[in-house]
Amino acid sequence: MTEALLPQPSEGPDFVQLLTPEGERVEHPDYSLDVTDDEVRGLYRDLVLVRRIDTEATALQRQGELGLWASLLGQEAAQVGAGRSLSEGDFAFPTYREHGVAYCKGVDPVTLLGLFRGTSQGGWDPQDHGFALYTIVIGSQTLHATGYAMGMQRDGGSGAVMAFFGDGASSQGDVNEAFVWASVFNAPVVFFCQNNQWAISEPLEKQTRIPLYQRAQGFGFPGVRVDGNDVLAVLAVTRAALARARDGDGPLLIEAYTYRMGAHTTSDDPTRYRLAAELETWKLKDPIERVKAYLSRRGAGDAEFFAAVDAESDALAAHVRAGCLALPDPDPLTMFDHVYAGGSSLLDEEREQMSTYLASFAEAAR
Amino acid sequence: MADFALPDLGEGLTEAEILRWLVAVGDRVTLNQPIVEVETAKAAVEIPSPYAGVVKTLHHSAGDTIDVGAPLISFDVEGESGTVRPEGEQPAEFLVGSGPKPSARTRRARVAPVAPMPPVVTQADRPQPARVAAAAVGERAERLVAQVHVLAKPPVRKLARDLGVDLRVISGTGAHATITRADVEAAAAGVPSPGGARSPVGAVIDVDPATRERRIPIKGVRKATAAAMVQSAFTAPQVSEFVTVDVTPMMELVTRLRAHPDFDGIAVSPLLLVARSLVLAIARHPMINSSWDDEAQEIVVKDYINLGIATATERGLIVPNIKDAGRLSLPELGAALNRLVASARAGRATPSDLSRGTVTITNVGVFGVDTGTPILNPGEAAILCFGAVRDQPWVHEGRIEIRNVTQLAVTFDHRIVDGQLGSEFLADVAGQLADPWQLVTWR
Amino acid sequence: MATLTMAKALNEGLRSAMERDPKVLIMGEDVGRLGGVFRVTDGLQKDFGEDRVIDTPLAESGIIGTAVGLAIRGFRPVCEIQFDGFVFPAFDQIVSQVARMHYRSAGHVKMPLTIRIPYGGGIGAVEHHSESPETYFAHTAGLKVLTCSHPADAFTMIQPAIACDDPIVFFEPKRRYWDKADVDPDVAASASCWSAEVAREGTTATLITYGPSVRTCLDAAAAAESDGQDLEVVDLRALSPIDWETVFASVRKTQHAVVVSEAPLFASLAAEIAARITEHCFYSLEAPVLRVGGASTPYPASRVEEDFLPDLDRVLDAVDRALGW
Repeated sequence: MTEALLPQPSEGPDFVQLLTPEGERVEHPDYSLDVTDDEVRGLYRDLVLVRRIDTEATALQRQGELGLWASLLGQEAAQVGAGRSLSEGDFAFPTYREHGVAYCKGVDPVTLLGLFRGTSQGGWDPQDHGFALYTIVIGSQTLHATGYAMGMQRDGGSGAVMAFFGDGASSQGDVNEAFVWASVFNAPVVFFCQNNQWAISEPLEKQTRIPLYQRAQGFGFPGVRVDGNDVLAVLAVTRAALARARDGDGPLLIEAYTYRMGAHTTSDDPTRYRLAAELETWKLKDPIERVKAYLSRRGAGDAEFFAAVDAESDALAAHVRAGCLALPDPDPLTMFDHVYAGGSSLLDEEREQMSTYLASFAEAAR
Repeated sequence: MADFALPDLGEGLTEAEILRWLVAVGDRVTLNQPIVEVETAKAAVEIPSPYAGVVKTLHHSAGDTIDVGAPLISFDVEGESGTVRPEGEQPAEFLVGSGPKPSARTRRARVAPVAPMPPVVTQADRPQPARVAAAAVGERAERLVAQVHVLAKPPVRKLARDLGVDLRVISGTGAHATITRADVEAAAAGVPSPGGARSPVGAVIDVDPATRERRIPIKGVRKATAAAMVQSAFTAPQVSEFVTVDVTPMMELVTRLRAHPDFDGIAVSPLLLVARSLVLAIARHPMINSSWDDEAQEIVVKDYINLGIATATERGLIVPNIKDAGRLSLPELGAALNRLVASARAGRATPSDLSRGTVTITNVGVFGVDTGTPILNPGEAAILCFGAVRDQPWVHEGRIEIRNVTQLAVTFDHRIVDGQLGSEFLADVAGQLADPWQLVTWR
Repeated sequence: MATLTMAKALNEGLRSAMERDPKVLIMGEDVGRLGGVFRVTDGLQKDFGEDRVIDTPLAESGIIGTAVGLAIRGFRPVCEIQFDGFVFPAFDQIVSQVARMHYRSAGHVKMPLTIRIPYGGGIGAVEHHSESPETYFAHTAGLKVLTCSHPADAFTMIQPAIACDDPIVFFEPKRRYWDKADVDPDVAASASCWSAEVAREGTTATLITYGPSVRTCLDAAAAAESDGQDLEVVDLRALSPIDWETVFASVRKTQHAVVVSEAPLFASLAAEIAARITEHCFYSLEAPVLRVGGASTPYPASRVEEDFLPDLDRVLDAVDRALGW
């Protein structure tokens, strides 16, 4: 029952990497990527903005404006790489941490905040951007994703589905059932596992005896492990997996090997269960630094460019902050809305009673 | 000036300890710059500044433990940073985000009176539920309440059942026309309820042309009386004896009493003297004034005479009684009789009047009837029936003369009163009425 | 005597149980190294080892299912479900297996599990972290259900719960985890957890409640004094089986009953309590038994939870309605 029973991946065919932590381009036998400087600059900008959304939201939580925040710090490349592979007709089923994927799909970050501020339970329409609601119960969304993919098979949809989950979720029955369904129905779903090494306080070794990407083989579909901090590698692998799914070749498991640099959520204290040294090791693999180094080295990004991106991220942060503070406190009677599509006489009655009750006070309570 | 209170930092924490300040008074800070390190039950965290500005006040020192929601730090805030909350809006004194908020300790003032919950009636064919306006809810309550057949709370129902009262005929005097305990007790004593709305006796019931019959529901006083009669008749073995008496002297006495100043304002009738005779006869034959306590297997002989007078009223027969009639003087007894009969006829007999009687007189003479075989009032051992006083030929001092003659009947509970006692008692009463001077010399 | 938070009191109770019986195991997500997300199992893995305080894989069904196997082997597992809203993956194991094993085996196999679940709302949390699912479990034959309302009860109730040979779902009101009170560590562990407690004596009306709502009702009773109302508060403590004797005695005395809990009103445990009181205390009731609970909706966004949950004003509103009936 000790750590390090799993070999640490660093290189080789079982670990797809196209950009080293130092920012150098490398090749992989199975995955290649043709990408222009402009595109890399775009990815850099995505990474910085996504990180900034996350840090601003974390600050807002510390300031009492959000009740909770699930930080994606360190996982930006995994989410941007996957998010930028999803095309218009593709559908994403996130957990509760995929703010970077949401961003790539065109979801305004303020939309995500209601859930964490307590002003809504989510409340967005998945069809708006092909981005399902956040699912807090671990792993449930993988079955939803698989079912959605089965729907696409049956109504002539040409897109694919990406199901997001973490290393901890891989232990849940729902996730394993999703694997079964996806494989026997050959569903066009890509399972994207961000292995950030920790499920709250439990390290990966508590969830599995083998590298997670190898689980897929047991279910009958391919698995690939990618450097989750390498946006280029993630982009390449997810593009290929989604194309394969759209072509009707069925599911695939991607393990994006990354690290949860922050706490599980703002209620968590990682210093209680993991060593600072581990964090330091992963800081050296920062997903944004390597892209910056790459751009700088090849002259594709100068100080002016980086400053402009920083300025844009400041503006975005301000937008997030203002949007957060402007989220209206819902009227108490809204708790009765949308429980049923077809309405409910019981709830009408209860709403009426509450309305009368609330009106009977000299002053509102809040 | 902007204040910042300690927020809840994770799922309901209530307090935190300040580990160290990262800024000092007078420092200029930027938005999100870490300002303090605190420790909670769950974690040690740095809190970033919610404002850009200058630190004005640190409200606590390192080492202090403060509650969530307590003031932490105050800033002089820059004019316009674009990210600062608009002027005039202060952060909520309580935590904006998560955490168990301090619970209320006092009630909030109400402006509207508390309405009782209307009983919910779901109809099988209920249409699309309409939003009921708040004002209409109260009306609906009234309507629903009125539809329910009997309104009485469970403790009152139990009382009614114990007293043998049918709630369906009672009009309630409580809120929402509910039947109260007092209403039940009054009904048990046979008093018409003040509401009066449900009087079955006065109700007009039409003949059904098909059957040529008229069906009157058995309810209320009639039902209660009937039940009493049945119980009496089939519990106590009842024997009746009769005597015919020349009461001419008693009638003369009535005339003289009417003229007597002591009886001013008192309506003197033969009934008064019959009552007086009865009371005196009981004094000499106390077993007459008793009851059979089957449960205790005891005969309860009473030392007080609560004299009941059977009275016909609009609602039926009731028997109010005069308490302790044996201790009243003749004028007092007369007055009491007057009062009793009047109040009974007016429907004002109280439950007290109608309970705890010990012996009864039934006056059938007012109807022109000679005599009868009265049924005992339950709980009593004797009932005296006083018939009409007629002019009849009678043998008086050896000659046939026209005299005032009446019949007296007594029914007695043969478990307590044997033939001899009953006969002697009846003869005693008759004797006093035949020779009223006995009323004066005895006792 | 020590002043402890409820979380700490539970911690001490768990520690005592583990010291007393080497067959007691603790298992759940993050219970070992982290000590639990509410620190209820803090320090226990360090003292009792990884074989007895087990950080499990992330699967609630797996936690309960493997606990069933451990119980058959003779262990006494204390399972933690991290939050109320996450018990549902385990619901099948609990209802189909844990609750029925004794019955299925004609008494040969005991299920001495304790399933600890933080429950209830009022902490401004996100979805699935504020549920009141106790009705599902009280409704399931074969299970027993307990809930503590204050630190002293937390300490004394968890121990006999663990020692009990029947499976117990032990609900811990998370909004009260940080409440502090004096706890006497020497109170006998065999103190009964099955009796209801009259938390406050009174004569005007009875508030029947449990878990997080007990303090709400006590606050309400204190506030009601100025209205001339003398409220009695009965803390059920055991939700299955319920101590009806204490409940009925109270209702017969005050003749007015209000049942208070956070769970959504429709078909909640409060309904069973109301029905049974009506049946057994009918002739004592001056008003129908009223229930105060959450709205019959899913637990709402936390910004409106204060209106969803029964608070002091709503409790006293119900009392007024009962008294005015």
